Amino acid sequence: VSSPPLNCPEAPPATGGRQPREGSADEGAQPAVLAATALPQEDVLREADGEELIMHLEPDQLVVETFRPVERAHLSSAARTALWTLRIFALVVSLMVLYAFIVNLH
Amino acid sequence: MPMKGMPMSTPEIAAPAPLLRQPRLTDEDAARSRDRSRVHHARRHRKRWHLMWLLVGPGILAMLGENDGPSMIAYASDGAQYGLGFFVPFIPVLFAMAFVVQEMTMRIGAVTHRGYGELLLQRYGPVWGWFGAGDLVLTNLVTLIAEFVAIRVGLAYFHLGAGVAVGLGLALVLFTLGGGRYWHWERAVLGLAIFNGLFLVAAILVKPHLSALASSFSFSPFPHGSVNTLLLLLASTIGATVTPWMIFFQQSASADKGLTPDDVRHGRFDTAVGAVLAGVFGVGALVAGAALLPHNGSGIQGFAGAGFPQALDHIAGGAAGTVFALGLIEAGAVAILTISASTAYAAGECIGVSHSFNTSPRNAIVFYAASVGVALIAAVVILIPGAPLLSIALNANVLAAVLLPVSLVFVLMLANDRKLMGAWTNRRATNLVAIAVIAFVGLCGTAYGVDSFLQSVHVISS
Repeated sequence: VSSPPLNCPEAPPATGGRQPREGSADEGAQPAVLAATALPQEDVLREADGEELIMHLEPDQLVVETFRPVERAHLSSAARTALWTLRIFALVVSLMVLYAFIVNLH
Repeated sequence: MPMKGMPMSTPEIAAPAPLLRQPRLTDEDAARSRDRSRVHHARRHRKRWHLMWLLVGPGILAMLGENDGPSMIAYASDGAQYGLGFFVPFIPVLFAMAFVVQEMTMRIGAVTHRGYGELLLQRYGPVWGWFGAGDLVLTNLVTLIAEFVAIRVGLAYFHLGAGVAVGLGLALVLFTLGGGRYWHWERAVLGLAIFNGLFLVAAILVKPHLSALASSFSFSPFPHGSVNTLLLLLASTIGATVTPWMIFFQQSASADKGLTPDDVRHGRFDTAVGAVLAGVFGVGALVAGAALLPHNGSGIQGFAGAGFPQALDHIAGGAAGTVFALGLIEAGAVAILTISASTAYAAGECIGVSHSFNTSPRNAIVFYAASVGVALIAAVVILIPGAPLLSIALNANVLAAVLLPVSLVFVLMLANDRKLMGAWTNRRATNLVAIAVIAFVGLCGTAYGVDSFLQSVHVISS
């Protein structure tokens, strides 16, 4: 689960991974920016920025990855029953507390 | 508005035949990456203290946020009614319990990079996710009302009214949200939270007998009174220490901060420091309250007026009263910020939209609206003439304690989920302690709920 950050300074150098591209900041050229977008210009990350920034994040830390749902857990029927029992019990006790609270107001 | 599965603001970058397809990045990624670059730099250059400074935050905020207005008044009230015995060792025990729970949430957030709400919803289904969010919103709303009441009590000492309390609370929420970065929000709230130490100053100012303080560690004398009173005392003190919002907050904040499994050790330190500070400051409020014991302290109505600060003013001098009043204002203010943040995280996570301080308000409307909205609703309630603020504040902690066991069970399940946590699942000893915590919290909350109900329907006498 604990994968090292991509190209992070402590991580071993990535083999066959990212390399400077045409238009990257390393070469001093203008980065490529999508022109056909309705989004404000300041929200669009430049490619070169992306190259530099991504190396400090773990792959599964990117927003696009965290928005991907995790697999649904398969609970046994006993576990489901136990959880529902606890849930209903907590609701009943909460209602008792709320009832006592309302009665005490008067 | 960006929805689940969509990047927040940035479309795919058009690159000329890349060697490796680059993931789509957002401004949230950019902000988090800048924070992480500083962490990597500090780690690479072995700057231990700088690394610690960069990684602390969510744990201290969760713990000091829980040392909120109602909690500090509950501790002071315990001291004023029963003295130091039992509570001086009991409060640290409760914060040790809180550490066990909060360490799990920090670890889950750092390993999965997801908040409690979204993980619950995705892993166990929408019913459980929405139940959890519903519990949170209910307890948060009630607790936030109590926070505004605490600020009002503190300000009343300085002859300022409810309108100022509302204005101050809302202004703080808006001010801290204005930074546009998680880092800025966290540091602003941490700076404010340090003033929770005012309760320790108040304790010193009342000049407690050190021998009495030392002898109280024997858990005696046990508080006297009716069974219902003792159960209320236990349930409200537990509810003052471990609550549903802390679970949501620390897990989401750890993910938002960008913690990774490499940072778990520092996350534990952060949580432990928070627990120690909160325990010490909580005992400070207890000791300050205990100074009122020989002076009919049990008769003080903390929410009816200036309450404890005014009483301390008479007994221990103006400085003690002023410090305690300022402490109440700080405790309420920090809790308003952290509790409204936990509501915002839960709303964003359960609806499936952007939920990060690293996102601009334009791209995370639900997140920012929930943060301000819940504080606004609570603020409006305390302006209603004749609202039962005292009862609301006293029952806030109890309600949190009653609803807590369900959240704790899911935290335990997530922390033991090998598919999610891999090598970072709970150890056997952690599970045993966590189960004991759940049983204890559940037992105390249930006992109080049942006892109160039976009294209210006159099945048993009070």
